[in-house]
Amino acid sequence: MRFDTPATTNPIDQLKVIGQPTDRIDGPLKTTGLARYAYEQHDVVANQAYGYPVGATIAKGRITAMDLAAARRAPGVLTIVTAENAGKLVKGNFNTAKLLGGPEIEHYHQAIAVVVAETFEQARAAAALIAVDYAEEAGSFDLAAARDSAEKPEASDFGGPPDTSVGDFAGAFASAHARLDQTYTTPDQAHAMMEPHATLAAWEGDKLTLWTSNQMIAWGKADVARTLGIGKDKVRLISPFVGGGFGSKLFVRADALLAALGARASGRPVKVALPRPYTFNNTTHRPATIQRIRIGASAEGRITAIGHEGWSGDLPGGAPETAVNQTRLIYAGENRMTATRLAVLHLPEGNAMRAPGEAPGMMALELAMDEMAETLGLDPIAFRTLNETEVDPENPKRPFSQRQLVECYRIGAERFGWDRRRPHPRQVREGRWLVGMGMAAGFRNNLLATSGARVRLGEDGMVTVETDMTDIGTGTYTIVAQTAAEMMGVPLESVIVRLGDSSFPVSAGSGGQWGANNSTAGVYAACVKLREAVAQRLGFNSSDTVFAEGEVRSGNRSVPLAQAAASGALTGEDSIEYGDLAKTHQQSTFAAHFVEVGVDAFTAEVRVRRMLAVCAAGRILNPKSARSQVIGAMTMGVGAALMEELAVDKRRGFFVNHDLAGYEVPVHADIPHQEVVFLDEADPMSSPMKAKGVGELGICGVGAAVANAIYNASGTRVRHYPITLDKLIGGLPENV
Amino acid sequence: MYLRPSTLREACEALVEAPAAILAGGTDFFPALADRPPPPRILDLSRIDGLDGLEIIDGVLRIGARVTWSRIARAPLPPCFDGLRAAAREVGSVQIQNVATLSGNLCNASPAADGVPPLLTLDASVELASSSGTRCLPLAAFLLGNRHTARRPDEILTAILVPVASPDATSCFLKLGARRYLVISIVMVAVLLEVAEGRVRSARIAIGACSAVATRMPELEAALIGASPAALGSLVRPHHLERLAPIADVRATADYRSEAALELVRRALRRCDGAAA
Repeated sequence: MRFDTPATTNPIDQLKVIGQPTDRIDGPLKTTGLARYAYEQHDVVANQAYGYPVGATIAKGRITAMDLAAARRAPGVLTIVTAENAGKLVKGNFNTAKLLGGPEIEHYHQAIAVVVAETFEQARAAAALIAVDYAEEAGSFDLAAARDSAEKPEASDFGGPPDTSVGDFAGAFASAHARLDQTYTTPDQAHAMMEPHATLAAWEGDKLTLWTSNQMIAWGKADVARTLGIGKDKVRLISPFVGGGFGSKLFVRADALLAALGARASGRPVKVALPRPYTFNNTTHRPATIQRIRIGASAEGRITAIGHEGWSGDLPGGAPETAVNQTRLIYAGENRMTATRLAVLHLPEGNAMRAPGEAPGMMALELAMDEMAETLGLDPIAFRTLNETEVDPENPKRPFSQRQLVECYRIGAERFGWDRRRPHPRQVREGRWLVGMGMAAGFRNNLLATSGARVRLGEDGMVTVETDMTDIGTGTYTIVAQTAAEMMGVPLESVIVRLGDSSFPVSAGSGGQWGANNSTAGVYAACVKLREAVAQRLGFNSSDTVFAEGEVRSGNRSVPLAQAAASGALTGEDSIEYGDLAKTHQQSTFAAHFVEVGVDAFTAEVRVRRMLAVCAAGRILNPKSARSQVIGAMTMGVGAALMEELAVDKRRGFFVNHDLAGYEVPVHADIPHQEVVFLDEADPMSSPMKAKGVGELGICGVGAAVANAIYNASGTRVRHYPITLDKLIGGLPENV
Repeated sequence: MYLRPSTLREACEALVEAPAAILAGGTDFFPALADRPPPPRILDLSRIDGLDGLEIIDGVLRIGARVTWSRIARAPLPPCFDGLRAAAREVGSVQIQNVATLSGNLCNASPAADGVPPLLTLDASVELASSSGTRCLPLAAFLLGNRHTARRPDEILTAILVPVASPDATSCFLKLGARRYLVISIVMVAVLLEVAEGRVRSARIAIGACSAVATRMPELEAALIGASPAALGSLVRPHHLERLAPIADVRATADYRSEAALELVRRALRRCDGAAA
């Protein structure tokens, strides 16, 4: 189905099932442990063996010798695969470093071998017997030191151009009434999802099946085939449940390749899970950024110049963290510039983590906006409202498809009690607590991608949806079922959803908060096909056929839906394909984040007391799972603001705190009250679903709202995340 | 080799044959393996009778080697143990508290071990058994450094022995971390206070996570003797904490730890005062 004109009224608009707060249909499977994750596929193939990875213990250099003898002799060992005996491997299109390294080592904990044995314990024990000699080389591990050597990266679809410029930024900034010129930093961060990367691989002749934990099935299938040099038709990926990804599982990782190689070498199905430390240094992470923001404004507070420059690092051949992109779109201002620079760092590979670009970018920009509002003597909301734009500021002929950001501010301020905020910091004291409020805008683009599905009406009247779309804990199963139920006029219980299998039609996959809108639009398209097939078989005029309450109705005729399939199942398969609506109209999602914190006046302990996010993100397909997504993202944003930081060992080039004891994330009990409000909105430009993403919007800006609340409470402005207690204590009234 | 002896004697004999990693709750043991295999010999204490006692005999609380944090938290103990029980409620999550043991916390000898400061203020000792007999060591003599204790490879810590302080004694424990719960301590403070006739008769104060081993603060303790309980917070001076040698790490800087320790001590003293009143 081609989607190139704005959506008009369609069956989704009935909102009988879609738009209703609906429990996850896979919830019982998860709470009872019946949902099978990759490493738990114990019975899909017989005779499974276990693989255990060996990671490089240097960041850069070469393996000079590798002694496998003791490991080969160890009990239960079936085979050991290294780069030397693995055969030719081609680096995947989505990988920056090789998934199996050697003799050249590109980063710490790059996999250099997999040991396959009868049991997990035997494989692990043997892996520890492998002795490796290295010739270590000096590397670059410090972004601040490498900043001056950073270069202009290539333009990319996701990242945009390295430089943008509109008007005369330098001149306008120099002559502005009020100016802000500050530098902010965000650290390297880990996805820290619960389920580690895990794969079970089985060969059947020249065909490979991978039960794996992956967000993007089609990308993964293509990269596995490319890496192994086999046809895509020889590879099948199955990923029905994913225990969190946050971008870490967008791409095939070492577990999949090592399992495939181990299985090929041993002639047995092999499963590999990355040990927790490997999920920090073997896989990808969100790269640290240095961001310089300059804002010039008139006396009344109109932005006349806005500039945002971002520096990040990655392995040679890698890509930047594009922290500046939202600054091209979010606020008005005639003179603007952005610049993205990329340094070479020999740390583990940097890549996407929940809201790549905007998450760290908004942490800096919205902190800068708070500072600028204070400089101008304006309320932070008033300053933002004054600089609201209805059009792409770089291209005023290009409007936003919808933009209710000001309404988000208004509703949020009212619900949160923003009028009780004291404009000057350190004015509210409750016992030992300094109390403050902060806010920030939330902004994340809505991305469109082709997405397909197949829908079958069985002889029993059940509707089965198949798509390679994944549910990474987000609620995909449920919204896909809701879509099919709405379209086919059946109750939710009559829909079966099968996801995450590369033998199903290719979907948009889960990433960039594009999954919900695109994958359900694909299901919509397939359902339209199925409705046509049903009408045709029943001899109905498809244009006036109504599907409701388990019946198909046309004129004064009414037939049970199941009857259409009585003489054989019917199938509809299609994809949603997008035209130019995203080019003619900027599609974005918006939020207003509000946070209240207490800062201990003596120890600087920060306690987030309340949070509110008001979101304008198109039609909300399932307010219950959408709320969970936003709450989860807000919590992650608190982690980014207060505690999450991969500590870089700048001598050896690795992340030191590579487990969940050293890399702390917020827990539920840290935030007693979180509220989410969705504006009643439907965006006809986005898809027939009129929906947009919310899963990443929730993290964009929230970290800055925490930082701004801390400033309002304590009077200390911290520009270097995370805002740990030691950065605050010196500025406390009791300690100065 | 995974050993699960059913008597203490067998366990001690097994350690004479060859040293082994001793496993109680396992909550430090397993995460510390990270991606490495476990050590070749593991001695599991779970089948040995007589290590799970928790009782006061002749004025001494005996905490068996397998007593979990949850049992401490729920035990009806006199007020001098309030600090220890508070620590028990803040070690990890409830799931951790249900399997992790106090004895394991001491043997693991982390600088941030939550059990150590309260037990130091209680003048606790540890009982160490081996095939050549049993000995007792004051806790401060048992803990030698970061992950380093006086336990010989052939010894098993069988119990923690705690003299029950005066019924007038009050105690408390405060812990500070990057998040409210489930957190590894940046600073923690335990205080045990005895007040008689409106004056401090004795004060015992220990601070953890600010030196390789948690340590008592004798200079501060001495300075508080005879003082009015209400004034204690104001008597604490930075020089009283000079024994501390905090490090900077991913959780906080050394300077932060010093400042926060000072505040936490003041706060703990005020809280103990409140409990006494």
